[in-house]
Amino acid sequence: MSAPPWRSGGTNGNNRNGAFHSVNARKTLSSRPIQHEGTQTLTQTPAPEQTPKTQFPDKLKDYVARTFEDCPPEEKAAVELELKRIITDAFNEKVVWSLEWDKMPLPQTILARKKVTAKEEQTAKALAMGQMNRVSDETGASPSPFIRKPNYSNVMDVDYHGKKRKSSGSSEELTPPAPDRFEERFDKRPRQGDKFFPASGKLSQREKDKRAKRFEDEGREYLPDSATPEVPDNKRPLIGRCMDLEKRYFRLTSAPNPDNVRPLHVLEKTLEMLKRKWRSEANYSYICDQFKSLRQDLTVQHIKNDFVVTVYEIHARIALEKGDLGEYNQCQTQLHSLYREGFKGHEEEFKAYRILYLIHTCNRADMNELLANLTPADKEVKAIKHALEVRSVLAAGNFHRFFRLYLEAPAMGGYLMDSFVARERKAAMCIICKGYRPDIDIRFLTEELGFESDTDCVNFLCDNEAADLIEQKSGDKGVPNSIRFQTAKALPIFERAKKAAFSKVDIKGQL
Amino acid sequence: MTTLYKTFRRALTTKDGALLGSIFSPENPDRRAFAFSTNHERIRVDVEFEISGLTHLRDENTRSAWIETLVSYWKIAYILERDDGADVSWVKAYEGQKDLLLAMVRGYTKGNWPHWTLPVMYQICLSLRTVAILSDDQARRLGKTSEHLEDAARYINKAFTLCISDRAPIEESRKWGTYYIVNLMFKTYFKLNSVGLAKNILRVLPASLADMPPLEAFPKSHIVTFKYYCGVVSFLEEDYGNAETHLTYALNLCKADSIRNKELILTYLIPTTMLTKHKLPTPELLSRFPRLATLFNPICKTIKSGNLQAFDAALRHGEEEFVKRRIYLTLERTKDIAMRNLFRKVVLYQNEENRTKIPVRQFQIAMGCAGRGAGGVVGVGYAENGDGGENGGGGMVEADGDTVMRSIPERMEVEIEEVECLLANMIYKGLMKGYISRERQTLVLSGKEPFPGTVV
Repeated sequence: MSAPPWRSGGTNGNNRNGAFHSVNARKTLSSRPIQHEGTQTLTQTPAPEQTPKTQFPDKLKDYVARTFEDCPPEEKAAVELELKRIITDAFNEKVVWSLEWDKMPLPQTILARKKVTAKEEQTAKALAMGQMNRVSDETGASPSPFIRKPNYSNVMDVDYHGKKRKSSGSSEELTPPAPDRFEERFDKRPRQGDKFFPASGKLSQREKDKRAKRFEDEGREYLPDSATPEVPDNKRPLIGRCMDLEKRYFRLTSAPNPDNVRPLHVLEKTLEMLKRKWRSEANYSYICDQFKSLRQDLTVQHIKNDFVVTVYEIHARIALEKGDLGEYNQCQTQLHSLYREGFKGHEEEFKAYRILYLIHTCNRADMNELLANLTPADKEVKAIKHALEVRSVLAAGNFHRFFRLYLEAPAMGGYLMDSFVARERKAAMCIICKGYRPDIDIRFLTEELGFESDTDCVNFLCDNEAADLIEQKSGDKGVPNSIRFQTAKALPIFERAKKAAFSKVDIKGQL
Repeated sequence: MTTLYKTFRRALTTKDGALLGSIFSPENPDRRAFAFSTNHERIRVDVEFEISGLTHLRDENTRSAWIETLVSYWKIAYILERDDGADVSWVKAYEGQKDLLLAMVRGYTKGNWPHWTLPVMYQICLSLRTVAILSDDQARRLGKTSEHLEDAARYINKAFTLCISDRAPIEESRKWGTYYIVNLMFKTYFKLNSVGLAKNILRVLPASLADMPPLEAFPKSHIVTFKYYCGVVSFLEEDYGNAETHLTYALNLCKADSIRNKELILTYLIPTTMLTKHKLPTPELLSRFPRLATLFNPICKTIKSGNLQAFDAALRHGEEEFVKRRIYLTLERTKDIAMRNLFRKVVLYQNEENRTKIPVRQFQIAMGCAGRGAGGVVGVGYAENGDGGENGGGGMVEADGDTVMRSIPERMEVEIEEVECLLANMIYKGLMKGYISRERQTLVLSGKEPFPGTVV
């Protein structure tokens, strides 16, 4: 890759072709102005030197205050620089007093605008150099087929105004906009202001008014509504031309290239192939990657139908099986909206998963929401009934029934419950340690906490650093084999463990 | 001259903010005459003429902002009053209302509208919300999706920014409007079911509180509503301590005769205090709020008697309403108190000398199992039908004078382990003092205050 535009200027001689002229001209607009440019502007400020006691209009002070009012610290430096440039320009042009500062867009807005144009400019430059296609073929990203040049040059034009404000101001005065009645009155205010500050500039009042008017017009362009850049038209659905069954997932950074996107009928075959492969190979990282690219192809082509539901459902189930809750949640989010739009699938099954998932994330607000939306028919579905029961016994602290329900969870529910069983065991241990004295049989813990064997149970206790509290006791009549656990001393240990377990709930891509 | 203009002139000359705001109310009786007074061609000229010569409007920016505002308002009045009755296009009305709000925003940013005109802002924001809801309803009836209320929330946010970003000296600052607008935003977000956004406001607000007068200095109506919403947000976050503080504050400050508001506050305060203080609402309190009485009475009765099965039934019976009001999950947790009351009765039933050591079996019987052996998993339940089985489980409650726990024919079995589990829960939550000795199958209770806070 060539050097970034802000560094390529001046250092080497091979950028003399036409494509780079515009880059040079626009250097100051880049979001990171070069150091020497910045200092140049500073040394170019004669105004403060001419009038040693520099005075600022109140409106300008307000403007500066507004600028820093909600400026995030990381942007402060850039904003400061830009502000300096604006004020310096205003002084140089001697419009500080006539300018309507309260209408001037904030430096942040201008910077954001420039960043966008700088980005588009880079894309355009790459296009011009014919490099983009090659790059995109390698990476899978591709320029949008819809980027239209006129559109793009419009954006540049706007910026030239901003940039060339200093030198080419007069060209615009050829066509002064006819001010209507209201605007005329607006302009009276700066004029009156000048009586109090007569020393500001040699330009005629008329010129100043026009200039102020121009600033105002430019300001309008920066109003928040229009500040969001015009994204190239991607409303029209794209239809893919790629015929490969397999495709690696690549996160798109630009509009998709139809050559790399598979159409629906190919995707349907892809799904069949993936299902086969999952059954035979069960290579999760491969499958997950393939599913992601499959989903991406569906998304970029704006496909929404029952097939999409199937894709998300299968991916969700596979993710569940592998305990990949992040991926599961992404699928679930999509499924949620697909079902709502009326596409058919296994809605009840996934409602049950969602209840369990919300238990896992301790998301009470959404749980309330979900309960409110359950229909009486839903509550009769076995899986949903089970999930609701899990919820209610957990709310009651009834770990006895909770672990029973864990062992009899329908469908993939058990996999979801896996994600919070460990945590609930710790919570249950707290209750047991507080409630039972002086000690408790390990066998009892194994049964109550749903362990597969006493060994598992002992391992669990050891993992929580409670190994010291396990002791062998020979029974009253010399019967051995009773392994006991001292409850009283274990309480603080499990209180700590519980607190830690409940504090870090994975909330990736929360629905 | 239409009365509306007269009102406008009077409000401006006398600096009567409330009167000025009332012009933009949908209840303004002059709106109809105003709508019919002119047409699209003439409206601007008419407005300019009608409001000419007012001293308050000497400033051109102020004047033009008012003209813009009144013209926008007339357009809405035109749609609502002159369009064909029931077929009012609420979509159009909403667009008009939005223009009105933007004109108002310009009035404050450029037109130097003074702070006493804040009721105008209130009324316009309020109407925007109302119209957005009506427009969404209309779209829904036609089977379309419409998200005007979401949109309205964004515009009301502009008004919020107008308020908190005002740097005028506090006595004439728009900051006085902050809480009104915040409350309106809360109301909108709750309607949209996005409590998350409501929480966001509470996160943003403290930053601008520094240079704001204390909450107590604001109008009471603003404080009550604000505290109510703070309380509900805390409630939904399960932060019952804070919920109680906020809601109690709101209740105490609430106007004595605004039954509806008190009812709303109590809807959340009652379940909160049930959890935090284990206090049930008194019959006197509920008798003053019939709606709350039907909502809470059944469940409170079962808590008092400790009838777990009846508790479950009451919870199921009211589920739809509870879930709708977002109090289901909280009420569900009050089952602990019902259970505590039941266990307490078991203890009281014992002879004085046996009260510290009670077989777990006794509790099992009380929970409805007559001891047919533990076969399979069964639901938590409670049966109390006087048929005391081998231990007279029914009698003990009757001795306590309760009559609720009868006539539920079906008995549910509860495993002994589950009873232990629930007892352990009681102990863990501090509702009982003691421990379970598993070897002896006994609950050993503290000799002093085994049920803290219940005089036993």
